[in-house]
Amino acid sequence: MDIKKTAIAGTLESSDIQIMVSIGENGIELDLESQVIEQFGKQIKAVILETFDKYGIKNATVKAVDKGALDCTIKARTEAAIQRAIEKDHDLNWEALI
Amino acid sequence: MSDELKITTLFLKDKKTRQQWESLLYHHDIFSITDKDVLLLDQTFGIYDNQGLIATISIASNVLKYLVIEERYRENGKLFNMLVSHAINALASQGIFHVLVFTKLDYAKSFQYLGFSNIMTTEYGVFLEKGDQSINTFLSQLPLIKGDYTISAIVMNANPFTKGHLYLVEEALKKSDYVYVFVVSANQSLFTSEERYQLVCQGVEHLERAVVCQGGEYMVSLATFPSYFLKNKEEVISYQTQLDALLFKEYIAKTLHITKRFLGEEPLSDTTKRYNKALLTYLPPEIEVEIIPRKTIDHHQVISATKVRECIQFGDLELIKQLVPITTYHFISEHLTELQKRLDNN
Repeated sequence: MDIKKTAIAGTLESSDIQIMVSIGENGIELDLESQVIEQFGKQIKAVILETFDKYGIKNATVKAVDKGALDCTIKARTEAAIQRAIEKDHDLNWEALI
Repeated sequence: MSDELKITTLFLKDKKTRQQWESLLYHHDIFSITDKDVLLLDQTFGIYDNQGLIATISIASNVLKYLVIEERYRENGKLFNMLVSHAINALASQGIFHVLVFTKLDYAKSFQYLGFSNIMTTEYGVFLEKGDQSINTFLSQLPLIKGDYTISAIVMNANPFTKGHLYLVEEALKKSDYVYVFVVSANQSLFTSEERYQLVCQGVEHLERAVVCQGGEYMVSLATFPSYFLKNKEEVISYQTQLDALLFKEYIAKTLHITKRFLGEEPLSDTTKRYNKALLTYLPPEIEVEIIPRKTIDHHQVISATKVRECIQFGDLELIKQLVPITTYHFISEHLTELQKRLDNN
């Protein structure tokens, strides 16, 4: 699956995360900004990368700004951004969402 | 203070809303907003508490502007994040993912927490960006000249490209091996950014060592700059020119190995005159600055794009022919009615 355009999901409000996905060439390049990066940076990145893996996306530039989101939120926002970026947001792959 | 503060869209055409908005800005040292300033805003959002407007943000193209939050609502940055986030999502829904902001030094950190990166700090403020592009992607797209050459640059609005502009490029090529011609991209001129760029390309096509580039978002024209948080016109111009000069010097010139910048002498516009003066202050010694006297036609009249636009208004094609290269002339004569219509609408 390829990224077709830049897309964004989530907000910068407390307990949320903003994910921006755009076209990339060198694998999944993930840039994370978080005030809890020391404690949770690894975990947040793992959840995002896992989600990309599930969609079979090999190349993308990802910018994430975390405001203390839970894993389920991180996953949901990443999926929403991916669906928009692969232009499938009107044709959701419900199976992949489970 | 109620628990649920919500963001609403503000319609500044509404008199009462405009008054509330202006009064909020006024109390935070943003004075004298003109109708023209308001017209440049694409969208404005606000937050009300018990009927009173307590916070606001605006977007103009891809720039965040007029961000103000009343002091007592600033705690833990909640409203700040809400407003910026809302503006970013509003831009995203229009397909705009690259966001710029010019702000005071004190707020730079708050923007950095939201994923903005600092491009340039000057004594007047900080210029930050966020999104799917950056100044580095812009730089990597510029054509790089390899070899041991003297490389110079000219930045022009070229609204439209005249014989004066052509003369400037020719003079630069007498004094350097290659010249980059950057065409300012801001779309606030009679000729669109694309038209101006095409006319420059056509106009210098016969000059092999002239490289024409779109100025992009970092070759800043005076029009795109924010003036809102600076107190007076003097400060605004100082800030604009300083930022422009430093961006050119630290990023563009360094990447492209430009060692010389040519400016057209400015006998007419006071703003441009001061702009040139500021470039002379900030660019040397790393970048040499040379001012080229204007080309004149008979009766010592200087060639200027302003004059060409006047001629378009009066349909004086004969005079236009003397002022512009044949390529620009063809474009104007073919589109005269359309251009006059644009002038009327302004």
